Amino acid sequence: MEQKFISNEKVKALTKKLIPDYEIFYPRRQEESWDWARMEADSEFTFEGHRTVLPLKYFFYSPQENLVEKKKDKPRIIFGARGCDTKGLSLLKKIYLEDPEDPHFRKDVLVFSADCTTHHPDCFCTVLGDQPWATENFDLNFSIVENGYLVSVGSDAGAKFLKDHGGFFESARSEQEKSMSSHRTSFEEELKKFNGNKVLDLKDLEGKIEKHSDVFKEYGKTCVSCSSCTNVCSSCFCFFLSEGDENKIRYMDSCQLKSYARVAGGANPREDLIERFKHRFTCKFVYRPQMQGFNGCTGCGRCTAGCQGKIDFQEVLIKVAEAK
Amino acid sequence: MDPYKTINCKVIKVIEETSLIKTFILEPEKKFSFATGQFIQLTMPKIGESPFTPSSSQFAKGPFEVTIMKAGRVTEKLHELKANDTVGIRGPLGTSYPLNEFEGKEVLLLGGGVGMAPLRSLLLTLLDEKDKYEKITLLYGAKNPADIVYKDQFESWKKRGAEICRTVDAADNDWKEKEGVVTCLFDDYSVNPKNGVAVVCGPPIMMKFGTFKLLELGFAPESIYLSMEKNMSCGIGKCGHCGVGKYFACKDGPVFKYSLIKDIEGIWE
Repeated sequence: MEQKFISNEKVKALTKKLIPDYEIFYPRRQEESWDWARMEADSEFTFEGHRTVLPLKYFFYSPQENLVEKKKDKPRIIFGARGCDTKGLSLLKKIYLEDPEDPHFRKDVLVFSADCTTHHPDCFCTVLGDQPWATENFDLNFSIVENGYLVSVGSDAGAKFLKDHGGFFESARSEQEKSMSSHRTSFEEELKKFNGNKVLDLKDLEGKIEKHSDVFKEYGKTCVSCSSCTNVCSSCFCFFLSEGDENKIRYMDSCQLKSYARVAGGANPREDLIERFKHRFTCKFVYRPQMQGFNGCTGCGRCTAGCQGKIDFQEVLIKVAEAK
Repeated sequence: MDPYKTINCKVIKVIEETSLIKTFILEPEKKFSFATGQFIQLTMPKIGESPFTPSSSQFAKGPFEVTIMKAGRVTEKLHELKANDTVGIRGPLGTSYPLNEFEGKEVLLLGGGVGMAPLRSLLLTLLDEKDKYEKITLLYGAKNPADIVYKDQFESWKKRGAEICRTVDAADNDWKEKEGVVTCLFDDYSVNPKNGVAVVCGPPIMMKFGTFKLLELGFAPESIYLSMEKNMSCGIGKCGHCGVGKYFACKDGPVFKYSLIKDIEGIWE
């Protein structure tokens, strides 16, 4: 589909126009990191940078919510979501929206992603063979070019949005398209280089995880079962269902917590901390690709950044994947 | 349709099976049916939910039965229920026993303790269409005579055509049947693995040794069916709790062919 250009001025005018009708969020810089902020009429923003501290998934469902019919909120637009987060939505949508559909997973969220222009020290999407820009689950994508953004369409909803707001966009010029490609290539190279030009072969991981369980013993030593890694993960989906006043309450749960798999009567298949630590890798790189067709990891590195035990999850993965 | 919404059920009757086990006869407010082996989530409003497999025949019209052992916070509250109280259910959920695969075969039910509950549903369902099966056998073990569930029903099942052998781990003076763990019933009972299927349900340790015994007797892993008890929470394959290896017990199970899960580490834990 034809790409469009929107200038820096126009994108500000566009967001101002959208504010009455949408709840809009964007990544706001906080020193070296980025967090989600609500777009106001006077918000200053840029789509430069890298993934936020918290993942995109919580715009689709809340970490804790009453599963009652909600009063109709405004639809949401999320600007500046990164490729790792949009990739993570593949697994989440498979789990939540299929067989049966979960009516509490929001479908009125427009994702206006943006190419990464920097990276967090823990980013490793390229190690998994992925790119630092959105390739799926986005409606529009914004790539920084001179004086504005090159806009690509990723869905019918994105195409409709462009059509409905055509006045803000203009046809992209070929040099803008070239500029986007060269930015992408050079930043991907930079990130690859930062990650030692590694691309892991994850095919035989099932046997390797069992064979090299000593790696998990070694790295799991400092795990304190705090569940930070699962809470901030772009694709962890587990929750616990409890009773509310009208219907159920759902709150995020974690396979890293001791009580997670315990059944009535006390039997617990994963009482051991190292088993739970190892299980997280097996789930992400073996079970989910086999059953849902998607890895449960997109290389955002939030698990490492958030780990209370300073465990480098990328290092664990590399160690197991590269073992013979 | 919201899969988290419950259907209200009126408690028609409560039957005390043992000191820890009760059977509840429930009448749903809305039309409800299940296939034998499927489970439901039983809701105590504002307390919590627990998964149970109904213990009545899938062909029974109207009220259905659930047998519950007091084992935790929710089941303690469930045990306080009396006739005319209300509970919620969600379901039916998960896979059922593949009755069409059992047709023309000798169906062996191997049960332990309260694991008799799903097997009772299967047994009654099979007996309702008895002529479709070559033979229907129940081998059942309990800790002691007092812990046997459905005590007064075994005779009627025999009359309807089921072959039944029972054992208890620890007999008392009145016990006339076998003594020992459930696998000892195979000492006196000959099976026909060539044209047979076996269904196992009970405590994990009993399921493990029961399954190994069946394999030893010549049952193929494809002919053994297990009802897996896991920590089902959402019941619809989303919350992740009930993982059996790559499977979710609530959606890919709770009824699994042993051949499907035999290589998964820790299935008996």
